Amino acid sequence: MSAPDSAPGRDRLINLGVLSGLAIGWQALSIALPQEIVPGVPLVPGWQVVFTSTLLSLSLYWPGGWGFGAVAGGDSPNYLYALLAIGYHSGITFARLLMGLVVGTCVGTVLGLAISWSVWGRRIVSPPIEFLRVLPLLALVPLFRIWFGLSFFGQVAFVAYGVGVIFFAATVNAVANVAPVYIDNARTFGAGRFFLYRTVILPAILPEMHSAVLLALGAAWAAVLGAEFLGAQSGLGYIIVYSQAFGFLDRMFLIALLVVLYASVSYWLANRLFQRLNRWSHAAT
Amino acid sequence: MTKIPTPALEFADVSRHYLRRDGLGIRALTDLTINIAEGEFVCIVGPSGCGKSTLLQICAGLDQPTSGVVKAQGALVTAPGPDRGVVFQKDSVFPWMTVINNVEYGLKCRGVPSTERRRVARLYLERVGLADVAGAWPNELSGGMLKRVAIASVFANGSPVLLLDEPFGALDYVTKHKIHDVLLDLWDDGGSTVRRTVLFVTHDVDEALTLADRILVMRAGEIVDDLRVDSTRPRTEENLSEPAVIATKRRLLAHLGLAHGEARMLVREAGR
Repeated sequence: MSAPDSAPGRDRLINLGVLSGLAIGWQALSIALPQEIVPGVPLVPGWQVVFTSTLLSLSLYWPGGWGFGAVAGGDSPNYLYALLAIGYHSGITFARLLMGLVVGTCVGTVLGLAISWSVWGRRIVSPPIEFLRVLPLLALVPLFRIWFGLSFFGQVAFVAYGVGVIFFAATVNAVANVAPVYIDNARTFGAGRFFLYRTVILPAILPEMHSAVLLALGAAWAAVLGAEFLGAQSGLGYIIVYSQAFGFLDRMFLIALLVVLYASVSYWLANRLFQRLNRWSHAAT
Repeated sequence: MTKIPTPALEFADVSRHYLRRDGLGIRALTDLTINIAEGEFVCIVGPSGCGKSTLLQICAGLDQPTSGVVKAQGALVTAPGPDRGVVFQKDSVFPWMTVINNVEYGLKCRGVPSTERRRVARLYLERVGLADVAGAWPNELSGGMLKRVAIASVFANGSPVLLLDEPFGALDYVTKHKIHDVLLDLWDDGGSTVRRTVLFVTHDVDEALTLADRILVMRAGEIVDDLRVDSTRPRTEENLSEPAVIATKRRLLAHLGLAHGEARMLVREAGR
């Protein structure tokens, strides 16, 4: 939503300006603070470092395969391997994130709808929901690690849990907020329970679910990286933890930038999807 | 011996009591007995809080009586059903469906094939004058247009009994009069022999006189008067200025506490 006296084009221009300002500020900081944390790695890595030696160093994380060699196999670091490494580890993180999102969204929403089926269902689950909602997600990382080990399944389960709790709570809330007149109306037209859920409850809760989706995406990114920090042998979170152990601040910075980029794209996609699903509510009056 | 036809709507000793949060019992309806004939257009008039909306809710099956029974075309009312279409006071048109999908909704509930649904929906949209906004979202429509969509939807669903709960209360004078014509035109259906039975709740005396064959006056959960409006249709300004109609209007106003002297006497007599 834009302020009354600003055109969308001008807003975008200002956003771009602020981002460029930040990038320039970072560069200035890197010149002002030339100290190195370990030999060859500046405390504030400037862009000329990040996109050359840092990027190149990521080729170490390419395990080889698909007809390509690896640095570990004796090849010298190169940009192709660096990009392959980024693709490989991003792909693994995406897989964990997406599966967790899909499972969490489905389970959370379906459970939420099932509970909303009856008044008693709502009464019984509302205290535990509150409890789960305020329980910090990342505090559960060690617990999940013990329960599920370091498996792909365990990481997916952790993301799914984080996403599922948000969707569950949001669904129960949103269903309770559906205007009774729509439900009454559908019933007087002869709608059965399932038909009512499909044609009235589900579409009616979508605008409220939009914000839940954005929350869940944030939680999903936090959860997937959190899960990878603790002992994963692949994924973007693994690179960050590995780099931290050796003081490779520049690599951590580059991966963090990548995560910001990915997360932004995922938010943008979710926004587009929900704007499309909820286009009826944006219709001009 | 002539067989008495089954009334379209039958209320037998219907009472509805609530327990308010502070523990005080509220009698919304007390021992109501009404018969409404098939094809009759009945308005229920009364001050707010007299129980008229409760009566309609019970008839729709959205509320249950504390005691007594309601029958629609001989069948006991226990739940909402497509045999009793409802137009609500609040906007009930689904904003997430296009106008035409709203009109088709009832037919869809009952599994009518899509081509047949489309045909019926187009027909009724045409008749309420909204054919050109069939594909629009309800949020793009005015309040009056939304009411037309709601009316088209209940008529398209084929309900023999229609229940309208102060549907036009929020509309301006001109819009309201135009929509009265739309409603009466659909009800009359070109002088059709099978008119639908209408129960119409309103607090607007002029609206009741324009629409109704029969007006029931409610006060404090009871029917206190049952009047016939014997003016010809359509009810033009001239028709509504007939002495008989004026007398009915006076009596209605007196029931609502808006008349003086002579009319108040009339009401007191009627109460006996």
